[in-house]
Amino acid sequence: MRKSTTCLAAVAGVATLALAACGGVQNTAGGGSDSGDYPSGAVDMPVGASAGGSSDLISRQISRGLTDELGGTFPVINREGANGALAAAEVAKAKADGSTISVQNASLFTITPLAVSEDEATSIDDFDVVQGVSRDDYVLVASKGSGFTSIDDFAKADGKITYGTTGVGTGAQLACALTYNVNETPAEAIPFDGGAPALTALLGDQVDTACLQVGEAIENIKAGKIVPLSVFGPERVGFLPDVPTAKEQGLDVEVTQYRFMTVPKGTPQDVQDAIAEAMQATFETSTYQDFNETNNLTPLEIPGDEVKAMLEEDKQRYADLVEEYGIDLGNAG
Amino acid sequence: MDWNAFLDGFGVVTEPNNLLYCLIGVLIGMLIGVLPGLGPTATMAILLPIAYNASDPVSAIIMLAGIYYGAQYGGTITSVLLRIPGEASSVVTVFDGFALAKQGKAGTALGIAAIGSFVGATVSIIGLTFLGPIVAGYALDFGPPEYATLALLGVFMVASIGNGNTVKALIAAAVGLLLATVGSDSFTSANRYTFDTLQLQGGIDFVVVAMGLFGVGEILYNLEERHGKVHVPAAIANIWPSRKDLKEASPAIGRGSVIGFFLGVLPGGGAVMASLAAYATEKRVAKDKSRFGRGAIEGVAGPESANNAAATSSFIPLLTIGIPANASMAMLFTALLVVGVTPGPSLIDDNPELFWGVINSMYIGNLILLILSIPLVGVFVKILRVRPAILAPITALITILGVYTINNSVFDIFVMITFGIIGYLMKKTGFEPGPLVLAFVLGSLMESNFRRSMLIFDGDPTGFLTRPISGTILAFLLMVLLYPLVKLLFRRRTPATTPDTENHDQEAGLR
Repeated sequence: MRKSTTCLAAVAGVATLALAACGGVQNTAGGGSDSGDYPSGAVDMPVGASAGGSSDLISRQISRGLTDELGGTFPVINREGANGALAAAEVAKAKADGSTISVQNASLFTITPLAVSEDEATSIDDFDVVQGVSRDDYVLVASKGSGFTSIDDFAKADGKITYGTTGVGTGAQLACALTYNVNETPAEAIPFDGGAPALTALLGDQVDTACLQVGEAIENIKAGKIVPLSVFGPERVGFLPDVPTAKEQGLDVEVTQYRFMTVPKGTPQDVQDAIAEAMQATFETSTYQDFNETNNLTPLEIPGDEVKAMLEEDKQRYADLVEEYGIDLGNAG
Repeated sequence: MDWNAFLDGFGVVTEPNNLLYCLIGVLIGMLIGVLPGLGPTATMAILLPIAYNASDPVSAIIMLAGIYYGAQYGGTITSVLLRIPGEASSVVTVFDGFALAKQGKAGTALGIAAIGSFVGATVSIIGLTFLGPIVAGYALDFGPPEYATLALLGVFMVASIGNGNTVKALIAAAVGLLLATVGSDSFTSANRYTFDTLQLQGGIDFVVVAMGLFGVGEILYNLEERHGKVHVPAAIANIWPSRKDLKEASPAIGRGSVIGFFLGVLPGGGAVMASLAAYATEKRVAKDKSRFGRGAIEGVAGPESANNAAATSSFIPLLTIGIPANASMAMLFTALLVVGVTPGPSLIDDNPELFWGVINSMYIGNLILLILSIPLVGVFVKILRVRPAILAPITALITILGVYTINNSVFDIFVMITFGIIGYLMKKTGFEPGPLVLAFVLGSLMESNFRRSMLIFDGDPTGFLTRPISGTILAFLLMVLLYPLVKLLFRRRTPATTPDTENHDQEAGLR
């Protein structure tokens, strides 16, 4: 009797694992070029980040919306690694029939190429951009101990100012690096593995300042534990109305992160249209709008070709700025 | 502290549906903890939609938290029975736990681990209840220099683990440190030992290494050992620890709990350091050090109490300052966002019901886990009676599926098999995989924090000595390293004045 219980437990265990693993292998016969019945099977949504990050959350929210609008299932598959390049490579290689779609980050195409060697850089030309999703702003914050309350205070600092970043080749690094270079302030970049460790170091006064995503910093800003100095969008961020943009403070620095839906190059137009329409319908729902609100995301629900133009423009602009100020993102330490 | 809010929290937990969610959470947690590979983080991600749909957000969070600390109980079982540690913090449990299982004392090991886990977690929850915000402040004093020195101390502690051969342990640790360098350098994004594959750019996952070296290595070794022999089922002498075992283990449980609580608060690597430190402490205070690695009950009790205490105290940074200390806490952070609560310093004031509801649910959840563990120990121990011809393929299948689920990557499976072969060769040549795996985990922690520190110090290494915490850690490290040398000198000088018997004592003390 006891023995059979053990066996049962073991079998149940294997079954659970097998079920969990199935999420990753359902790319049979998805899509199909006949648009009327898209999707005809499960559609994989690889995301180049671990579960729980903004990219993952947004992918899951969109996946839910697509399921509601189009029927079928859109399993989100976390393919963490190489800053999102792994997931991107998977999408680029996938069949161009709508069976693999992915929400991707702008920084992978506009900023990462500045930090890695040319053959490792991911190009937007391997994808068709279907639809813009939302913008995630960066904010420059100072620790309480640093005594900074505005960018002007940097002039009073003695010695180098340290700034924490969320990693090499990220928008946070670029935003900070540009700010200090344009402002001609001597500074040292301290890269951390993501926003949480950078925020921890800032709260503990280990670094003087840091560039973070608004969502990561906002609770501690509201609680007065850290001081916001600047945001980097084209206009102020709705969630932090009192924080001026870098432009307002006379620094020509504009860096934003945004996300958009991509499909492999050559995916039939009718499939792309079906996805775009379903996404627009999702954007209208109050659940989705509440989601943006709690995650401090600004909607950027523009058509795919505008996103692509924006990507190309940003990429060129960043490359020019980096060259002008002699910044080497890949050589922070 | 607000007593009314605290007591109201118990009111929240004892609502029948919250109790049910708590029960479901810890049960799922315990089960997935037993399955190597499928960790609490992945499970929480799969079950996150519950948070979207739950009628009461507090119930959903209670359940997800239950999965996390429930998994800590389950993780011990595979470490002890099959020699597969599911996470870095249960690697040290393997040494004495698996040795005990081989001696037919698996029940003792699992029983003590369950009690230790319960005590550790409970001590930690009490700490969280009364000292939470204060301890969170102290955790912030730990910057890159402190982590770097702590990791360095950890690497030296690794050498003390296993059964004896320090030189071989150090060699294995050195290989572990080298393996930690694989992947894209997080400071310059230069590729190191990636052989132009994208898959290696993110480095090698701990679970892949651990399951290969321990799990697959053990399977291969057993196949060779038992080939042609008639299988004799392992004797199962007892299911429940004796009074004597309990008496031996209780001081270790106490020390482990306190160590775990304090080190667990540190985001990133806290739990690993806690279990390592607890093991090293037990070995140091033990009268007969040679028992360690050969089935010392303290070697299970200390680290297990410590890693559960650490798992519990890792809630502190999340709930009091809004910083997730590990991947599972990041999932819980996400779940809180989903239910419309942004974790941060104001959580305790804005949502006292949620704050105290979740904390108090852990008192009850851990009690449920202890009660569940008692009959389950008896069931799981029976696994050892399964013939290797059946057990080995099932274990192999579980490890392969488990590794696949981490990144949905077939590449990882091959990496694991490679490590399995290395693990087999290591076992044949008398190397312990433990020091390698632990040094691997600590290596990247040490490297990146050392480089961060040097950037912060602007290239001046004396900064490590002038900062109070890192300076203390370094002084401690120096003491531990020099202690044997000083003793040696002392011993050489003393023979003329001291009788021989004392010499023997000191010699024993050295080991």
